[in-house]
Amino acid sequence: MSPLDTENLSLDDGRRPVGAGAARAGRIVLTLGGGVVLLLIWQASVSWLDIPPYILPTPAKVLAALWSGLAVPLASPTGFYLPLASTLANAAWGFAIGAILGVAIGSLMAEFRAVETVLMPYAFAFQVLPKVAIAPLIVIWFGFGNGSKVAMAALLAFFPLMVNSFTGIHAAEPERLELMRALSASRLETYRVVKLPSAAPYIFAGLDMGVVYAILGTIVAEFLGAQQGIGVTIVQAQAVTDVASVFAALILLGAVGIALHLMIRVCERRIVHWTARRKT
Amino acid sequence: MTSATPVAPHSTPLISAQGVAKTYRTVSGEAVEALAAIDIAVQAGEFLCIVGPSGCGKSTFLRLVAGLTEPSTGRLSLAGNFIAGASPEVGIAFQNATLLPWLTVLGNVRLPLRVGGFRRSNDGTVQDLLAMTGIAGFENKYPYELSGGMQQRAAICRALARDPKVLLLDEPFGALDALTRERMNIELQRIWQMSRKTVILITHSIAEAVFLGDRVVVMSPRPGRILRDFKIALPRPRNFERTPSEPEYLRLTREIRALLDQGAAASP
Repeated sequence: MSPLDTENLSLDDGRRPVGAGAARAGRIVLTLGGGVVLLLIWQASVSWLDIPPYILPTPAKVLAALWSGLAVPLASPTGFYLPLASTLANAAWGFAIGAILGVAIGSLMAEFRAVETVLMPYAFAFQVLPKVAIAPLIVIWFGFGNGSKVAMAALLAFFPLMVNSFTGIHAAEPERLELMRALSASRLETYRVVKLPSAAPYIFAGLDMGVVYAILGTIVAEFLGAQQGIGVTIVQAQAVTDVASVFAALILLGAVGIALHLMIRVCERRIVHWTARRKT
Repeated sequence: MTSATPVAPHSTPLISAQGVAKTYRTVSGEAVEALAAIDIAVQAGEFLCIVGPSGCGKSTFLRLVAGLTEPSTGRLSLAGNFIAGASPEVGIAFQNATLLPWLTVLGNVRLPLRVGGFRRSNDGTVQDLLAMTGIAGFENKYPYELSGGMQQRAAICRALARDPKVLLLDEPFGALDALTRERMNIELQRIWQMSRKTVILITHSIAEAVFLGDRVVVMSPRPGRILRDFKIALPRPRNFERTPSEPEYLRLTREIRALLDQGAAASP
């Protein structure tokens, strides 16, 4: 978790205690300073130990590779932008499909005991399966185009959403359910007004995991064959032992992961605004 | 100010319980008798308080009237009809305000008007209710932005949204501090006098019961039975300056306390 998050999580009413700004700045400096020290050690050990660049390039070379991939026009065939856009688009579609199906099936399992009885054992059996190992099968079924990337992303994003919405719906407070019964609310009304909002914090935790898994699924599918994508970029760079470019692509993926995580946190704080607050 | 609605002795009661008992079955299959057969009649417009030790079945009785559970034996009727499930004629407020934190105060208060097939959304009524319960101006706040007392006002407002005949209050002020609680007692008396609802209030507090009730029913430890039914003839509106020092108030609280102590001593 980034220092940004821990800082905001500790606040319960949105007001900053005096001196928190300075403490926060201090922590950011410490984190960044640690990174700089790590880079210096990396740079120094590569030159002193005489490690060949096809094993471990220096940070300077990695940064140069990153720069050469980013300091190009958006539509440049040698840049990172086109493959990144392809990967993100496929991951986004897969994430959306997996998340919607995950919440829907998790909700059905939580609402209907029969659905739970039928699906739960298979769901867990499937979940213990290393899903990355299914990728070759997915490629056989969906081909080398975008379909297999979307399918892999959806498959991986599905499970955290299914499990978390199932758990979240069961976490609805009995008193609130009793209130809905006292109001003669229908099952659908109770789901919409009480159960789904109760599950929202769990669903957001699932989205946070799911978005990372969606990228993972897309990259794995791209490794197995694709026209375009960051996974392809990595495999191509690896084939010509351009390890600096592999590192650059990984750094890019890391940055994208952090950006997506932060986006979900922002949405969560806006939508699930009540969780950090006092109980009612 | 008007005095309490006079209760004609010959009128048919709004709520009538005859031999109502409730036995729960625990997870281990053990039968727990929560409520022994009780008989009680509540007149329209009456303010009835039920006091008793924890676990005496007073909340069970409230849940029975609310239609949230069914009696094991006995007959329980509202306005002459047997109670079978929740009814829009009954509004209930729980010990915890149980406001939905994802809805604003207005969203919570209007909830009864948009679920359960009740679609008489009368915004004028809602505005009147907000004013009567003293939460006008707080409509767009979220529950976590309100104090405990304000949350309970909103919960009572929500319980009144469908304009029910009966208002059930399950220890609504139990979690409030003493001063807020006194203020809420005055407010509840005012709301009751304005709305002319029939109120059943469950409480642990003898003082609160005598202060608010037209009648105070004292219950025994489990299985709950009615030990005694006190008529509270104190003048209204009651207030904390005079009422607690009136001889009648002192006599009643003393008698009820003695009765509860006896019950506690007699129970195993």
